[in-house]
Amino acid sequence: MKEIKFPVSDYMPDSCIPEGPIAEKWTKYKREAKLINPNNRRKYTVLIVGTGLAGGSAAATLAELGYNVKCFCYQDSPRRAHSIAAQGGVNAAHNYQNDGDSVYRLFYDTVKGGDFRAREANVYRLAEVSCNIINQCVAQGVPFGREYGGLLDNRSFGGSQLKRTFYSRGQTGQQLLLGCYQAMEKEIGKGHIEMYPRTEMMDLVVVDGHAKGIVVRDMVTGEIKSYAGDTVLLATGGYGRVFFLSTNAMGCNVGAACACWKKGAYFANPCFTQIHPTCIPVKGDYQSKLTLMSESLRNDGRIWVPKSREVAAKIRRGEMKPSDVAENDRDYYLERKYPSFGNLAPRDISSRAAKEACDDERGVANTGRGVFLDFKDAIDRMGKEWIDGQYGNLFEMYEEITDVDPHEQPMMIYPASHYTMGGLWVDYNLMSSIPGLHVLGEANFSDHGANRLGASALMQGLSDGYFVIPATLPTYLTTQKPGSVTTAAPEFIEAEEAVKARIQKMMDVKGTKTPDEIHRELGKLVWEDVGMGRTKESLMDAIEKIPAIRDEFWNNVKVVGSTEGMNQELEKAWRVAAFLDFAEVLCYDALNREESCGAHFRLEHQLADGEAKRDDANFAYVACWEYKGTGELPVLHKEPLTFDTVHLAIRSYK
Amino acid sequence: MNDIITTACKFVTSSIGRKILVALSGACLLLFLVGHLAGNMTIFGGDVAAGDRSWIEYYATGLHSMPAWLLWSIRLGLLAVALVHIVLAIVLKIENKNARTPYQKEGTLKATISSRSMIYTGILVLAFIVIHLWQLTINGDPATCYSHVLHLFQQPAWAIFYIVAILGLMMHVRHGLQSVLQTVGLATRKVRPLYNLVSWAFAIVVCGAFILIPVCVMLGILK
Amino acid sequence: MANLNLTLKVWRQENAQAQGRIETYKAKNIPDEASFLEMLDIVNEELVHEGKEPIHFDHDCREGICGMCSLTINGVPHGGKKVTTCQLHMRQFKDGDTIWIEPFRAAAFPLLRDLVVDRTALDKIIAAGGFVDVRTGAAPNANNVPVRKKTADAAFDAAACIGCGACVASCKNSAAMLFTSAKAAHLNLLPQGQPEKNKRVLAMVRQMDALGFGNCTNLYECEAACPKGISVDNIAKLNRDYMIACAAEAVGVFA
Repeated sequence: MKEIKFPVSDYMPDSCIPEGPIAEKWTKYKREAKLINPNNRRKYTVLIVGTGLAGGSAAATLAELGYNVKCFCYQDSPRRAHSIAAQGGVNAAHNYQNDGDSVYRLFYDTVKGGDFRAREANVYRLAEVSCNIINQCVAQGVPFGREYGGLLDNRSFGGSQLKRTFYSRGQTGQQLLLGCYQAMEKEIGKGHIEMYPRTEMMDLVVVDGHAKGIVVRDMVTGEIKSYAGDTVLLATGGYGRVFFLSTNAMGCNVGAACACWKKGAYFANPCFTQIHPTCIPVKGDYQSKLTLMSESLRNDGRIWVPKSREVAAKIRRGEMKPSDVAENDRDYYLERKYPSFGNLAPRDISSRAAKEACDDERGVANTGRGVFLDFKDAIDRMGKEWIDGQYGNLFEMYEEITDVDPHEQPMMIYPASHYTMGGLWVDYNLMSSIPGLHVLGEANFSDHGANRLGASALMQGLSDGYFVIPATLPTYLTTQKPGSVTTAAPEFIEAEEAVKARIQKMMDVKGTKTPDEIHRELGKLVWEDVGMGRTKESLMDAIEKIPAIRDEFWNNVKVVGSTEGMNQELEKAWRVAAFLDFAEVLCYDALNREESCGAHFRLEHQLADGEAKRDDANFAYVACWEYKGTGELPVLHKEPLTFDTVHLAIRSYK
Repeated sequence: MNDIITTACKFVTSSIGRKILVALSGACLLLFLVGHLAGNMTIFGGDVAAGDRSWIEYYATGLHSMPAWLLWSIRLGLLAVALVHIVLAIVLKIENKNARTPYQKEGTLKATISSRSMIYTGILVLAFIVIHLWQLTINGDPATCYSHVLHLFQQPAWAIFYIVAILGLMMHVRHGLQSVLQTVGLATRKVRPLYNLVSWAFAIVVCGAFILIPVCVMLGILK
Repeated sequence: MANLNLTLKVWRQENAQAQGRIETYKAKNIPDEASFLEMLDIVNEELVHEGKEPIHFDHDCREGICGMCSLTINGVPHGGKKVTTCQLHMRQFKDGDTIWIEPFRAAAFPLLRDLVVDRTALDKIIAAGGFVDVRTGAAPNANNVPVRKKTADAAFDAAACIGCGACVASCKNSAAMLFTSAKAAHLNLLPQGQPEKNKRVLAMVRQMDALGFGNCTNLYECEAACPKGISVDNIAKLNRDYMIACAAEAVGVFA
C-alpha cells in the first residue's frame, strides 16, 4: 500500500495559556486582561458569522458592551440556527442536587470523556463559567424544568455519575437559543446589532495577515458583497454533513470554516467526529436527513439484535415480527459486553457495537443497518403510563416518522453523524492561527477532545459567547486601530472576484449530476471509510476516491438557474464544493492518528477486548492542519497536550 | 391629562383596543336584545283584561310614556353603542382583508361558519334593524302595535324576512357571545367549551323566542 | 411500504415582482415513508435533470423544531396534522391525490420566490419587546427566585412556539396574535419578566399593529394549525394584559 508522509512543521502558534495553577488561570487572565473604554468600544466593528448559541450569545453580549456588531446567518432568522435542535440539556456544576458536584468534577468528567485529547486549561474555564450560564439563562426567562418547591431540577446524562444537567423538557437547545435570540433581538431593536439574515459567508478577507472582513452572498438577490470589521468571529457550527446523512440541519455546512482554512487558519483534529447511537435508521436513497431520538431512551430501552442471521433476515424481509423473537434468540449485546454500564455505555462505544452487529449480518431494518431498542421489559415493569410520562413525545415522534408504535414493537435505531469535536484551531483567547479570526462553539476544536459528553455542546457554545469572548476579545482589539480597513482595500475586491469566478465556474460546468447526487456520493464514501471504524485501507480508499468525486463535481455538476436572485441549487453546489475540498483533511487526520481514542476508532488499534487503544506517548497532541492547496498534502503542526491536573488513564466504562 | 388622552387614542386605534370596543359594545347590544325580547314576549300575554288593550300594547305605551329626555337618552345611547360596534367592525374587516393574500385553494380546520360570516350576518342584521325601526317604531303606534304586528306577519314575505334575519342574528350571537369573553381576556382552555355551550344556548333561546312570534302568527296561533 | 403517484399544484413565482401562477407537476413513485419535503426533493431532482428550475422552499432542521419550513398544503399551513411540514409523511396521502402547495400567505410576509416568504416581521415583534432586558453577567444565582412548577410549565408551553408563522398563514385575517401572545405570555408569566411586563405588552402589540398584520376575530384557526399546540389562552391573556398595561400607562401607575 502507498505510504503517505505528511509534511510536519515545527512551528506552532502560542496557545496563550495563562501561567499558574489550573483553578486560577481564568481569574488571573481576567485580572490582567486589557480593557477597552466604553466610549471606544463603539469604534470597533465586530463581524459575527452564525447565530447559534455561540454566535448569538456573543453578538448579544458584545452589543451590550457597546461594540458595533454586524451579524450574519444563512437562515431567514437568527432564531433558526441548529443549536435549536439539541434535546437533552445543558451541564453546569451548580451542585444543586447535593450529590457532590464541583467545577473540578465537571472539568474532570469532560477531560476523561474526551479521552484526554482536550486542552486542560480550556476545559477548566468551561466548567468554571458553567454556573454563570444557567444564571444568565434563568434571568432571561428560559423555562428550565423545575421541582414542586420552585427550584431548578436536574437529570443525569451519559458519562456522568451526577445529576448536573439542566433541561427544558426535550427542547433545551430551543429554549436556550430563544433566550439568546431574544437578547440579540433586544440589541437589534436598540440599533446595536445590524442583522443580515439569508446571507451566506463565502470567504474570509485577510489584510496584512489579519482577518478584517468577509465576503457574503445575499441569498435573496444573489449579490456578492463585502463587509469590513476589526475582527471576525466565526460561529458556523460543525462539518457533520460531510457524511451527507446526519442529524445536522440541511443547511449546516463547512463552507465558512473551509474558506478560513484555505486562508491560513489551522484545522485541528478533524477526525474527531461523533456518531450518535440512537437515530432512526435510513429508509431509502431519497432520504435527506436522520432524526435523532434522545439518548435518554437508553435509560429504559434494551438494545438487541437476533442471535442468528436467519432470524435477522426474516425480520428484514418482514416475514417475522420482532416481538415474536424468543427471549433466548436475542442478543442484548451491550449488556453482554459491558455488564456494568450496559445499555448506557458512552456514545462511541454503543455506536461501534451496533455497527459490529450489523456487519455480522444480524442487523434489522430493510437496509440491514438497524438494531432494536426494546421497551417491552420497561413497560411490563413500570406500566405503559409511566413510560409515556417519561418518553411520550419521543414515542409519538417515532411513530409519526416510522408508522410503528414502539409500545407494540421495538424501536429500530442506528448510529448517525451528530457532532464534530474537531474544528478550527484556537488559542486560549479563541483566536485562530489567523490574527483577528476568532472561532466559537462547535466550529472550534477546543473543549471536547476526542469525544463530547451529552449536554456539553450547549454549555460550550454559551460559555464561548457569553463569557469567554467578551473577556478575551480586547486582547486582540487593543492591538488594532479601529476602522483601519475598509472594503475599498484591494484584498476585498480580489476576494469578491474570486468568489464570483468560483460561482461562475460551477455554473458553467452544465453537466448531468445535481449537487445533491454528488454530495450523497461523497457522504456514502466518507461514512463507509471514515465513519465509525477506520482502518488504513479504508482511509487510503477514501483518499484515493475523494479527488475523483471532486473532479466529477467540477466536470459534471449541473447547477440550474442564474447567479442573480434566489438560487437554492447554487447554494447547495457551493456547500458541496466546500465539503469536497475539506473531506480529504478529515481522512488525512484519521490516517495520521495511529491510535484509537474517543470517537476516533482505528481497528488496528484496539485492546484485546475491543476497546480503544490510546497512544499517549505518540499522539497526545492536537493535530493542526495547514492548507497548502486543494489536492496537495496539508502541513501538520502539533500542539502538545500536557495533563498536569488530570492523570492520563484508560477510559473505562465497564 | 395628556397622557390619558394619548393612551386612549392609542388604545382606540390599536388592534386589541378596537376589538375590545367591538366586544364591549356587542355585549351591550346583547343586553338590549334580552330586554327587547322580554318586552316582545308580552305578545303572548293576550289581553290585560277582557275588552281592554293587549299586554304588548300596554307595555309599548308604557315604554313610550317615559320622560322624553330619558327615552331619547336611551335611544341615542343605543345608537352610539351600535355605531361603535358597526363602524369599528367594518374598519377591522377592511384592514383584515388588506392584511391577507388569498390562497388559490382555501382550507379551514376549525373556524366555524358563524365565526367566518360575522360581517355578513352583521350586515343582514343591520339591514333588518333599519327596516324593523321603519316599520314598527317610526311608522308604528304603540297603542295599536298588536294588530300591526299581526298584519305584518300575515304577509308571508315579511314573516320569512324576519325569520331569516333573526336566524342571521342567531349565528352572529352564537360566535359573538363567546368571542366577547375571549376578547376581554376571560377565556381559558378549561372554560372555553362552557362558553361555547352558553353561546349556543343563548342564541337558540333568545333568537328562537323572537322567531316564535312570526311563526305563531303564520300558524294562526296568534290572532 | 407503497409508492404513490400524485398530482401537485404548486405556486411558482420567480421573484417578488413577478406574476405568480399555479403549475402542475406529476410526482411519480413517491415512497409513502418519505416526508413531504423529501417528496419535493424527489420532484426537484427530476426537474433539475430536465434542465428546469427546482421548486424553491424554505427548510432546515427537518426535525420539526427550527420553524423554517412552511408550505400551505391544500389550503392549510403545514397540512393541518399538528406537525410541521418536514414531519408530515406521505402516508397521510393516497395514491392519485391532487395536492395544492402554496406559500404561507399574508401581506406582512412578502413572497421572495416560489414558496419562500419573508417572515422577518415576526423578528421585529420580538425586537420590540419579546425579551427580558438583562445584561450578560449581571444575573443572580439561578435558584434565588423560586418559580412555581405550574407557572414554569405554563411559561414553557407558551415558549414552545417555533416562530414558523403558520398562525398568521392560517388566519383568515392574517393576524399575528398567537405568535405575539405566546412570547408575551411566556415572559409575562415568569417572575423574571415582571419588571417589564406592561412595557413589553404595549411595545409588542404596537409593533405588531404597525407591521400590517390583521386583527384577531377569535376564529381559533391558528391554534388548530399550530404544529406546537400553542393555545389561544395566550391571546386571551394578551388582551387582558394589554388592557391593564394601557390603564397603567394612562394613569401613570406601574408604567
